[in-house]
Amino acid sequence: MATQSATQSSSQSGRTAVLLLLVLGCMLGAYFLFLRTPGGTDRDAARQAANTSREERSVVTVTDLLGRKVDVRVPVQRVILGEGRQLYLVAALDTDNPIKRVVGWRKDMIQADPDTYKRYLKQFPAIADIPTFGGFEDGTFDIEQAISQKPDVIFLNIEARRATEDARHIEKLGALGIPVVYIDFRHYPIEHAEPTMRLFGKLFGKEARADEFIRFRDEQIRRVTDAIEAGKPARPKVFIERIGGYTQDCCLSFGNENFGKFVELAGGDNIGKQFIRGTFGQLNPEQVVASNPDQIVVTSANWEAYALGGSWVGVGPGADLKEAARKLEAYTARPAYAGTTARERRAFHAIWHQFYNSPYEFIAIQQLAKWFHPALFADLDPDATFRSLHERFLPFGHEPGYFVSLNAIPAGSAAQSASEARP
Amino acid sequence: MSAVLPAETVQRDAYRRLVRRKQLMLAAIVVLLVLSVLLDLALGPASYRFGDVVRALFLPDEAPLQLQVVLWEIRLPVALMALAVGAALSLAGAQMQTILNNPLASPFTLGISAAASFGAALGLAFGVKLLPVAADYLVPVNAFLMAMLSAFLIHMLSMRRGVTAETIVLLGIALVFTFNALLALVQYFASEQAVAAVVFWTMGSLTKATWTKLAITCAVIAVTLPLFARRAWALTALRLGEDKAASFGVDVARLRFHTLVLVSLLAAIPVAFVGTIGFIGLVGPHIARMLIGEDQRFFLPASLLTGALVLSVSSVVSKTLIPGAIFPIGVVTSLIGVPFFISLILGSRRNAW
Repeated sequence: MATQSATQSSSQSGRTAVLLLLVLGCMLGAYFLFLRTPGGTDRDAARQAANTSREERSVVTVTDLLGRKVDVRVPVQRVILGEGRQLYLVAALDTDNPIKRVVGWRKDMIQADPDTYKRYLKQFPAIADIPTFGGFEDGTFDIEQAISQKPDVIFLNIEARRATEDARHIEKLGALGIPVVYIDFRHYPIEHAEPTMRLFGKLFGKEARADEFIRFRDEQIRRVTDAIEAGKPARPKVFIERIGGYTQDCCLSFGNENFGKFVELAGGDNIGKQFIRGTFGQLNPEQVVASNPDQIVVTSANWEAYALGGSWVGVGPGADLKEAARKLEAYTARPAYAGTTARERRAFHAIWHQFYNSPYEFIAIQQLAKWFHPALFADLDPDATFRSLHERFLPFGHEPGYFVSLNAIPAGSAAQSASEARP
Repeated sequence: MSAVLPAETVQRDAYRRLVRRKQLMLAAIVVLLVLSVLLDLALGPASYRFGDVVRALFLPDEAPLQLQVVLWEIRLPVALMALAVGAALSLAGAQMQTILNNPLASPFTLGISAAASFGAALGLAFGVKLLPVAADYLVPVNAFLMAMLSAFLIHMLSMRRGVTAETIVLLGIALVFTFNALLALVQYFASEQAVAAVVFWTMGSLTKATWTKLAITCAVIAVTLPLFARRAWALTALRLGEDKAASFGVDVARLRFHTLVLVSLLAAIPVAFVGTIGFIGLVGPHIARMLIGEDQRFFLPASLLTGALVLSVSSVVSKTLIPGAIFPIGVVTSLIGVPFFISLILGSRRNAW
């Protein structure tokens, strides 16, 4: 009897629970329906509004750096930069106000190149209000945030492709009429910087300006490559020490891309290319001794924020070059450079690390060429080139300090050339 | 276990033979170790003749400057650091397995290396100084402090009433996940160079070796080894079970605490200097146990030597795999150690644990 009543009451409470669940489910369903309807109309209204405002704009089909054909309404007015350092390019097009179209960007520039960011912040304080997204993966972006900004186009670096495809972002954004365009000025900077710039120019409706930049960049690179081709100087063996002072480990270096490629273009022979398959890698310190480099180039920057008083060489905009030279001096004592020709001749140079991910890499190529072949490039002045780049294409003036060298090159070491402006 | 039983049951002669066999085994490992170190010193992209290397080793002043630098500043610190780090981690793992009575225990199980990685990452990503030290030692000091903190946490928790060895292992695993999450958090907020540096650090690399770091690592081994040796019998007894050990008059809680402190020190120092080199702490002692048995008098030196041997061989392989470039040693260690380890497990007739 007692057991019977127990089962009865339990089945009763079971029924009550099911009923409650049903009611709850219905409420939830109604809630979502309610939410959806205004959301839907909202979206349609937004699209309509956008369409009317876009009526005078035409749709063009562009080919991005992955060879995709994308329809974009030009000129774009609201863009999201999938990598913050795309601003280097944007600034060369919208020089009067580089951030006027930017409605969202990745925060990598703020972190990796704080010196340059500070200069933008000073001139365009509104840059601090642009929504940022972060994340340490070579990744992608927050899609909800992107949609809420209603951009006309999203620029992504080609390395974001995998993550973006995995998340099926393109399809989701496509449903809302937001195109994604892949660009690149980092993995194959030499080949891809020009089409990337053209793409930006076309979408921004500033093709003439983009052309001007490309021509300038071409001319400046050719000043080096033509002279190398004509003069065919002996190629010095060069070891590039990547992110010098960032870790205590020795001999991080570049393979045959990025700085490795810059060294080759500048008429050097990058010893890392035989040993490092990809773009980045580490050499056995002993291999550096064995390869006996003629020149040593340390890529570094002011990393006070990470390694207080560490052994980094603080080159960069407005750097104290005396202090930088003092810190570079310490590198001559590294075991990896013992007995090398570079050590004998004090051929140690430090260069701003961020050139590795910037469309201004041709400045680095010029400086490397000057270091490797001082006689051939006696009247080449990389700092003057950088100054005219700033004057013609960037919203602020040039602040020298990007290079330092231990064996002073007579005609125009970085510090010297800084004082002789060239129009 | 077989190492203890014969002393009571089998005749004296058999016992002597057993001891002799174990001594021979130890001697064989030492010979292999010496060969491996010599190979490590002889090989390298600068390709010197073996005779020149040996001469530069004993008469450094007569060698050409380049050979001097390569041998004394590049090859020797790395080769010897491989020995010291391998020995320390393996020893730490051996005693961890003994006191926790768990074949899966290693310096990594208790979150010591995860904590060290987190400490290092704090330094690399944000320049956080946990102690006012020179920038050169910022990262190792951070790593060491965090490792000791995790050991201390484990200790505090294990002092509570009713905490068994299994509980300690579980707590350790909880700490591993905690510190891994914190590490991911640091990486999330760090810049891309910092992330690269952190990833590189956590892969572990002997190229960070210097004479000072080598001296500190050796000093720690020199201090802890005699302390373990003095407790060899008690530790052997512990392997028979906590209750049995207690019945022999061993203060199990005290023994466990002391060993835990020493083990933390042994694990934290190498991890702080060369980054995370996993696996040695787990596999070194198991190889030693399979070769030589449970008796701490032999097990202790054997795990020290096997750990050193595995890492030394890995060091040779890591620099010959891609000539001129450095292959992360942690990767090599696992790739070499695992097949060997599996063949030992499957090949040994008796129960490995």
